[in-house]
Amino acid sequence: MIELSDFLILGAILFCISLAGIFLNRKNIIIILMSIELMLLAVNMNFVAFSHYLGNVDGQIFVFFILTVAAAEAAIGLAILILLFRTKRTINVDRLDSLKH
Amino acid sequence: MSIEPILFYIFSTILVLASVAVVTVRNPVYAALCLVLAFFTCAAVWLLLEAEFLALVLILVYVGAVMVLFLFVIMMLDINLVRSKEGFIKYLPAGGFVAILILIEMCVVLGPENFGIEITGEPLKHAADYSNTKELGVTLYTQYAYPFEIAGALLLLAIVAAITLTMRRRPDSKYQDPAEQVSVRRDDRVRIVKMAAEKKQ
Amino acid sequence: MAFEIPNFAPALPEIFVFTMICVVLIVDLFLTDKNRSITYLLSQATLLGAAILSVVIQSSVPEYTFSGTFVNDGMGTVLKLFIYLSTAVVFIYSRDYLIERGLYKGEFFVLALFAVLGMMVMVSANNLLTIYLGLEVLSLAMYAMVALNRDSSIASEAAMKYFVLGSIASGMLLYGMSMLYGATGSLDHTTIASAISEGSGDDIVLKFALVFIVIGLAFKLGAVPFHMWVPDVYHGAPTAITLFISAAPKIAAFAMLMRLLVEGLGGLLEHWQDMLIILAVLSIMIGNVIAIAQSNIKRMLAYSTISHIGFLILGVIAGTSDGYAASMFYVIVYALMSLAAFGMIMLLSRKGFEADTLDDFKGLNQRSPWFAFMMLITLFSMAGVPPTVGFYAKLAVLSAVVDIGLVWLAVLAVIFSVIGAFYYLRVIKYMYFDKAVDNTPINSAYDMKVVMSANGVIILLLGIYPTGLIALCTSVLA
Repeated sequence: MIELSDFLILGAILFCISLAGIFLNRKNIIIILMSIELMLLAVNMNFVAFSHYLGNVDGQIFVFFILTVAAAEAAIGLAILILLFRTKRTINVDRLDSLKH
Repeated sequence: MSIEPILFYIFSTILVLASVAVVTVRNPVYAALCLVLAFFTCAAVWLLLEAEFLALVLILVYVGAVMVLFLFVIMMLDINLVRSKEGFIKYLPAGGFVAILILIEMCVVLGPENFGIEITGEPLKHAADYSNTKELGVTLYTQYAYPFEIAGALLLLAIVAAITLTMRRRPDSKYQDPAEQVSVRRDDRVRIVKMAAEKKQ
Repeated sequence: MAFEIPNFAPALPEIFVFTMICVVLIVDLFLTDKNRSITYLLSQATLLGAAILSVVIQSSVPEYTFSGTFVNDGMGTVLKLFIYLSTAVVFIYSRDYLIERGLYKGEFFVLALFAVLGMMVMVSANNLLTIYLGLEVLSLAMYAMVALNRDSSIASEAAMKYFVLGSIASGMLLYGMSMLYGATGSLDHTTIASAISEGSGDDIVLKFALVFIVIGLAFKLGAVPFHMWVPDVYHGAPTAITLFISAAPKIAAFAMLMRLLVEGLGGLLEHWQDMLIILAVLSIMIGNVIAIAQSNIKRMLAYSTISHIGFLILGVIAGTSDGYAASMFYVIVYALMSLAAFGMIMLLSRKGFEADTLDDFKGLNQRSPWFAFMMLITLFSMAGVPPTVGFYAKLAVLSAVVDIGLVWLAVLAVIFSVIGAFYYLRVIKYMYFDKAVDNTPINSAYDMKVVMSANGVIILLLGIYPTGLIALCTSVLA
């Protein structure tokens, strides 16, 4: 029998991988954006698992909305990325230092 | 032993490996493809949790739309692969250590002590004619009608924002205006000039 | 399943604003740059109409509708009215600035109205789902607004930083919400609150959820140590957008704090109190100290915002209705001061000149004694000098903290706001005792000057007669 804790730990693993991904790939914004998607996947995993074990559909509804928002967010994030590339010709984070005091 | 735990462990291993690959591979195109794999296996795990509708939506929306958008942008931008991985190895020991530490701490809370089968009880198994989609739909359009409308507003906002940020008509670019092309008359293009005939030399 | 058509009346302002967004979007399509003022007037009419509707449908007892996902109460009405007011002022102040920079387009108004819609949803949320969706509508609109000037590389850089950190914050908040759902089995604030008070949720899981929720909130508020994005965004965004971000969203952030921590997780008061104390102390310390080192006035005001957020959190820490009322008073006053301060930067700026360094304020008294005086009032108020309203705001928050016996916290806050007074006084010194570097006459629209003056005078008048607004805040939170 699979326990709820198995799904939650799977979610936690995904969450930590995404955190590490954001931390380690500080040079490349595209990978950071993908790590954010992974983070949302971890959250969704939690909601779906809780929803199943609580026998209540609210968690799945929440996931439905997170998927919607994440798609919208990805569109805007990539739009900003394109804008950044147009004005700077680079998406390396360490070149993004013009906003220092 | 039922087949479900075996499936669960197979899928979760693939999911974890794919996610690790997303954050470690050098080439962003491979990273995006690994993310597609992660979404696919995640959908499979959700099927084990009887969330059929969401599993399908995950594949349709994420693999079908979001990841294609990602790949499109990656290929459109010219990214310097060598530079973008600098510092990765340098930070790997510290970053990996911290991440594993956080994971262990999270697992203490999320472990069987708090969420074991004795505490949560066995989940309700639905009958074969149960429709997850119908159940979700009924709740979505009654109890959650207000959030549903806000989600509509959010999608409109995303359209407006994305177009605002990226659509531009550069003054030097050449583009066609079909309305102008169609409304062209003969008089605009051709001028008939009457000339006296020249004498033969 | 029986389904009753919900009562739409309490949500009329939201419905009206959303309808008008669509109208503005379509009407703007047929306008040229010359008659863009129609869009401007329509947007102002939207805010006015929403304000009237909010007043008409106000109710003294909380009114729940849409299956409990929406609540209409006194606090919501007051906060929404101040959100409309500050957005309307932003529209007035930013008109000339945007025209001069070629940003005076329909998109600005549509995005700003979307942000207003998001804030309204947050203010009236009674469900984790509505609070999240409201927050995302607000955030997505603001990411796009920061990047609105598409040719500016610092603006797109600021937008990217804002986007990445904002998304991580949303992720953290959502992780916390998912654990909260797991522990209590519900997304509804009222149900969550009763589940916690009955002790049915597992205590350690609730605390675990709380950590993530507080981190997410701190990111969104811009409290130290999650403040990295604030100076960059304030600096990089066009001043008109900085003006917008610095005022109304802070009011919405306060509402989110109240709805989530106080109404939903009020039973965990002693746990979140400790976390918020750390955030407040660090914000007040770091905000005030780093602000001293800034030469760019937008960055300086950004760090000053961080310290004000610290004060805002202080009132919530008290955990009493007096404390909440003090915080609410503080956030409203802060929005007014921030409008005046950033408005002044826009007043001094002109085509091709941003007026965003401290040196640009040198000798302002010679150029315009009246506006130098207005800026003086604003800066005194931010520093908390009597008789301006900033003094009463700080006093109310500090007395709430002293009431629950955290005297050391109040003393610490006072010490650091005295340190913080230094950088406000430095600007005043520049304005009054230094020679002007450029003597270009200050030209701006008539209505902007009138509203600007009114803004300064209100800060002074509210300082002399603060009781009305304080009583209003106390009555809606009683």
